[in-house]
Amino acid sequence: MSPTIILPFLRHLHRIFRDEGAVIFLLLVPLAYPLLYTYLYNNEVVREVPAVGVMEHPSGTAREYLRRVDASPDVMIVWETSSMAEAKELMRQGKARGIIYLPADFTRRIGRGEQAHVSLLCDMSGLLYYKALVIACTDVSLEMEVKAAPLMEYKSIAAYNPSEGFASFLIPAVLVLIVQQTLLLGTGLLAGTDRDRKRQISGTDNTAYKEPLSKGEEAQGWDMPSVKTSRHKAPSPHNPSVTRSSSPVANLHGQALAYLLIASLTTAYMLMVVPHLFHLPQLADGWTLLAFMLPYLLACIFMAMSVSTLVPNREAVMLMVVFTSVPLLFLSGISWPGSSVPTVWRVVSWLFPSTFGINGFVRINSLGASLSDVWVEYLALWIQAIVYYLIARKRCKVQGAKFKV
Amino acid sequence: MTREPLYLMAIILPPLLCYVLFTSLMAAGLPTRLPAAVVDMDGSSTSRAMVRNLGAFQHTDIVAHYPSAHEAFDAMRRGEVYGFYLIPQGTEAEVMTGKSPLVSFYLNYAYLIAGSLLYEDMRTLSELTDAGIGMQLLYAHGAASWQVEAVLQPIALETHPLHNPWLNYSVYLNNTLMPGVLALMVLLVTVYSIGTEVKHGTVRQWLAMSNGHILPAMVGKMLPQTTLFILMALLGNAWLYGYLHFPLEGGVWPMLMASTLLVLASQGLGVILFCLFPWMRMAMSAAALWGVMSFSISGFSFPAMGMSADLQALNHLFPLRHYFLIYTHSALNGYPIHDTAGAYVALSLFALLPLLCLKRLRRVMLTYKYME
Repeated sequence: MSPTIILPFLRHLHRIFRDEGAVIFLLLVPLAYPLLYTYLYNNEVVREVPAVGVMEHPSGTAREYLRRVDASPDVMIVWETSSMAEAKELMRQGKARGIIYLPADFTRRIGRGEQAHVSLLCDMSGLLYYKALVIACTDVSLEMEVKAAPLMEYKSIAAYNPSEGFASFLIPAVLVLIVQQTLLLGTGLLAGTDRDRKRQISGTDNTAYKEPLSKGEEAQGWDMPSVKTSRHKAPSPHNPSVTRSSSPVANLHGQALAYLLIASLTTAYMLMVVPHLFHLPQLADGWTLLAFMLPYLLACIFMAMSVSTLVPNREAVMLMVVFTSVPLLFLSGISWPGSSVPTVWRVVSWLFPSTFGINGFVRINSLGASLSDVWVEYLALWIQAIVYYLIARKRCKVQGAKFKV
Repeated sequence: MTREPLYLMAIILPPLLCYVLFTSLMAAGLPTRLPAAVVDMDGSSTSRAMVRNLGAFQHTDIVAHYPSAHEAFDAMRRGEVYGFYLIPQGTEAEVMTGKSPLVSFYLNYAYLIAGSLLYEDMRTLSELTDAGIGMQLLYAHGAASWQVEAVLQPIALETHPLHNPWLNYSVYLNNTLMPGVLALMVLLVTVYSIGTEVKHGTVRQWLAMSNGHILPAMVGKMLPQTTLFILMALLGNAWLYGYLHFPLEGGVWPMLMASTLLVLASQGLGVILFCLFPWMRMAMSAAALWGVMSFSISGFSFPAMGMSADLQALNHLFPLRHYFLIYTHSALNGYPIHDTAGAYVALSLFALLPLLCLKRLRRVMLTYKYME
């Protein structure tokens, strides 16, 4: 490594750790947020969804049906009645999420060998209620059928995410997204701070601070005063080391290296330790993961550095970045299947490393995919890394030039 | 506020972008034509008919045929298919000789929604095929149709998903996702605008405009934002209920009230967060955390009853949770408004709570220094 990178690298590392805001985004959020988030979904599935059993004529077989539904792990019968109105009232009060209705002739029809009917009314405020109720009732219906041996049997195999858990499905995607979003926030915060200081300096005592600011000096930071309420104070005399500033490009490399170092550590923690702590599927091969995450981190870092040049002030980055997590998660094609994302939005999603990072990581982690299985995503991330690097390089040269005049 | 285009952009663009994105992304209601594969090792007329039938289902698009499960698994790992249906060799022959063969299907639940929808199609196909074969045999033996029904399916289950009969995901998600994004932006912009006064050291000038009184100063500062945010909220309602005709069983007024209160409650929460964390950095971070956590903790995707008891208690502190309760009660289920009086009161409390800490806010703003 050339020594011209080492200096800006160390300076930037120092600056990150001096800035509490940057520490929050680049360290605290990656460390704590995944734990909080995973804790939310830790139960993975909804159990014992409350339901009311309505029997017009309470009788043996109908009771047996409800008893079996109650015994299933998915549903709990909280009340039995013969009145539909009473059942609906319980649903309205939120004490039940579904009504299982067994008509008057239920037991008789079963006894006579005719087809009997069961009606299931579901509260649709959560699709998981519906899923639990339908599964429990379907299973009990099949289980109580006294029918001849099936002519053809079938079995369904959950090949991946075998528990069909909500956390196992969503958390891996969220973890990868957190990497990108925290880098965007951390980088933007520091760049916005630079712009705040420049405004503060250029807007005031021009004579006290004649030397132009190069990118190298911006990256210094620690000799700048905190802004406080005093826009009118000139900055304190500068640190002697400022005099030997590095070129904008060397600075870019040094800063990127500092982000890479920090993000590598937090990413390793998020993608390896967090899933382990919460017993999520982990089929990833270590080397595959390492090879895949390198271009992802680079693409995220250089995208963040490119975007950060647009951040007008320190706090503005939060107004610009935080909300994007929600649409980016949906665009990644994990919850809403990628094959069903309209073409326009699919093209938009290609701009963001998270799209490829999430899909690649989910397949490596949850499906045990190899690098050749995810080569499309892998290649896309390298292309993004290069393109965003070139943009960041151009932007830093432009900005460097602007402040040298 | 007008000086900085950033405000206007932060109030209008994120909600608008999300309205358009989410509703166009999920315009189909349910994902259709999900890529799936078939491993037909039988190659008989029965198996070919099954494959044809599977391809005709709404959610399934058969994009590949593989000679063995091994290749199908590879395709799944490459992300080309979300599942595959396997018909082993000799299936038809076994059906003919009454040996009840076993077919199987493999699903990738790492993509939970895609996996679940394919499961439904593949299971239905298996049931129907079994029934179809049975029906032919029974009719051949001269059975009546009511007997055929009873033999094939002794207990028929009819499901009635109330007010969302097609299990429309757009209805299910966007009614809360869209207000959620709006509430997140309200929180952030509120904290940002108060913090900016402290940061630029303009608190005294700002207060001087209302003779040092914090309440009129605050109202004056918030009102333009409030107006714009409420307009965005109403636009969201018009979009969902007017243009897309999503279920609105309880009439339009409860939702308009809930949307307006959600904006006010989020502003109130923003002010409270600033009182609690008078460093702009901490207040902004807290606002972001609150806003983003809302999406999970309000329980519209993963129900609150599936969360631990402490989280179920904690969700009362999130305005979006109360909004979600109003939406499910009123717009989705059409229950009377007094059922959710508690949620309206909670949102109003969030909006009014800053009144209690105005004094502290004034002191905080005048004495605290901006720290990065």
